[in-house]
Amino acid sequence: MKTIMTGAATLALLAGAAYAEGTADKRIALSNNYAGNSWRQAMLQTFEETASAAVADGVVAAADAFTTSENQTTEQAAQIQNMILQGYDAILLNAASPTALNGAVKEACDAGVKVISFDSIVTEPCAWRIAVDFVEMGRQEMDYVASRLPEGGNLLEIRGLAGVSTDDAISKGIHEGVAKHSQFEIVGAVHGDWAQDVAQKAVAGILPSLPDIVAVVTQGGDGYGAAEAFAAAGRPTPLIVMGNRQDELKWWAEQRDANGYETMSVSIAPGVASLAFWVAQQILAGEEVPKELTVPFLTINQDGLDAALETTPEGSVANVSYSLDDAKAVIAGAK
Amino acid sequence: MTMKPWVWAWTAAALAFAATVLLTSGRGAGELAYAALSFGAFAAIVGLGQMLVITLGPGNVDLSIPACMTLAGTLALKAMGTTDGTAFLGLAVALATGLAMGCANFVLIWLLRLPPIIATLAASLIYQSLAIWSNRGLRIKPPEGLADFSTGRFIGVPNLAWIALGLAILVWLLLERTIWGRWLLASGQNARAARLAGIPVQAVRAATYLSVAVFAALAGYLLASFSGGAALNMGAEYLLMSIAVVVIGGSSIAGGNSNVPGVIGAALFMFLVVSMLNSYGAGAGIKSVLTGTIIIAIVIAASTRRSRQ
Repeated sequence: MKTIMTGAATLALLAGAAYAEGTADKRIALSNNYAGNSWRQAMLQTFEETASAAVADGVVAAADAFTTSENQTTEQAAQIQNMILQGYDAILLNAASPTALNGAVKEACDAGVKVISFDSIVTEPCAWRIAVDFVEMGRQEMDYVASRLPEGGNLLEIRGLAGVSTDDAISKGIHEGVAKHSQFEIVGAVHGDWAQDVAQKAVAGILPSLPDIVAVVTQGGDGYGAAEAFAAAGRPTPLIVMGNRQDELKWWAEQRDANGYETMSVSIAPGVASLAFWVAQQILAGEEVPKELTVPFLTINQDGLDAALETTPEGSVANVSYSLDDAKAVIAGAK
Repeated sequence: MTMKPWVWAWTAAALAFAATVLLTSGRGAGELAYAALSFGAFAAIVGLGQMLVITLGPGNVDLSIPACMTLAGTLALKAMGTTDGTAFLGLAVALATGLAMGCANFVLIWLLRLPPIIATLAASLIYQSLAIWSNRGLRIKPPEGLADFSTGRFIGVPNLAWIALGLAILVWLLLERTIWGRWLLASGQNARAARLAGIPVQAVRAATYLSVAVFAALAGYLLASFSGGAALNMGAEYLLMSIAVVVIGGSSIAGGNSNVPGVIGAALFMFLVVSMLNSYGAGAGIKSVLTGTIIIAIVIAASTRRSRQ
């Protein structure tokens, strides 16, 4: 982990020196709507590391993170307005709502502030969007399940937080995958809110009414809870797709060592904040950047499990920190 | 009418149970009952605490329960650090955290004269921030012995359900058989009359706000041990849950009237109704609408019976 980080820092240093002239006096703010889970904490930490290194290297003058306390759109809109008044040159935005912040985002654009939304994006056309193809993530889960269990069977789907676009998108991909691999049938679906304890409770409640389950398709942050619920009910452990949380990866490694358990793990890396930072830097440097960018999701397979476990802090989320070159590659890919 | 208000919560729980088991033609009954007892225990513990506060009378409610659970769970699991044999150390840390939070809540309410809703809501932001600051959201596993205990069973019933039952009996005895319980009910029915009658109303309030925080802390400690670690958002669903089980259980939301068996029945019901709707494949929207409708129906049924008494 350390060598990778040092490597990334060196790279950033070299890259920073080359690009510093255009953005050395620019100030970037992160407007974040929520900090109440391990994923968001890892995101804030990655941003902090990237930003403080960039400030120390003179790439930008300032890069500050702000999180709203109540996860409310009104609060975040006010926060964005404050950032405009404070004279930031770019705002990175993880938004509480895809549409409710559009007014504030438009105000920022009109004031000449670049707005780059990522993870939870906004629809306002003047903003940039760094999005994950969550539908594709759902499809890939099903492709993997089908490759492991060609004879098919009954599936349990664990969804995320009801009403959030990410939940709809992943679920859509999963249902498309089920349509493609018609030997599978989703016999039950629960909302796990991307939290192990909520997923555990929901799965424990629906399991008694379900037939034998061959696989559980998930959205991340819910796989360990599902495994616990199956164990508590005395049922055989099905194929559970994991979501990159350290406790999920650790459980997977333990099962693998005990009985050769095989699965995959997929989620969006919290390091997307560092990618957003470098994209913002490129925009401020005057680069031509398309408004719609796609960030790859982070997939861990059986062979990569040990390496991923080694680099993931206890209790956190598997992560990658993106460099300036990664940002350039993403930008080039979208052109 | 001789019908007790808690009958409705238990009837609803039984109906939801029967409807779910019907779907499986009786196969999963034991499994479902076991799950309901395990998860109902958390709602019952925080519900008992919330019931005591609501009994204090209009305007009394503790909105810091989720943050109390999160902070107590986080600090306790950090103190234990997966080392075996530290379960009681963790419990002590959780309970001490609960006591401290209860004191803080009451100081805000009493000294600063803040309405309890504002005081506990504001305090919960501080508790939540402390939880974030103390461990940055990293999930630390509970010691193995504690994890086994919290997911284990005794005579076929989950250990958690025994703990909830023990607390329920304790609260019931306190309310029905001790002078303190009479004081609490009297304060809730008419604080002024209670004060004039020589009841130490502020002491009763203090003890109540301490109790609810300690109950929430205990629930947080148990939930974190049960689900493999404390998470920053682990208490989120217990805010409305704690109030719902009190109201569904037949306690008066206006205070002065508490109902221990009703809270237990309502805690089981809240788990069973979601399981039932999940089992019948209801979508998220329908599920929320139906859950809300059923809760309103039970509250109406329970309160009309009471007003005719």
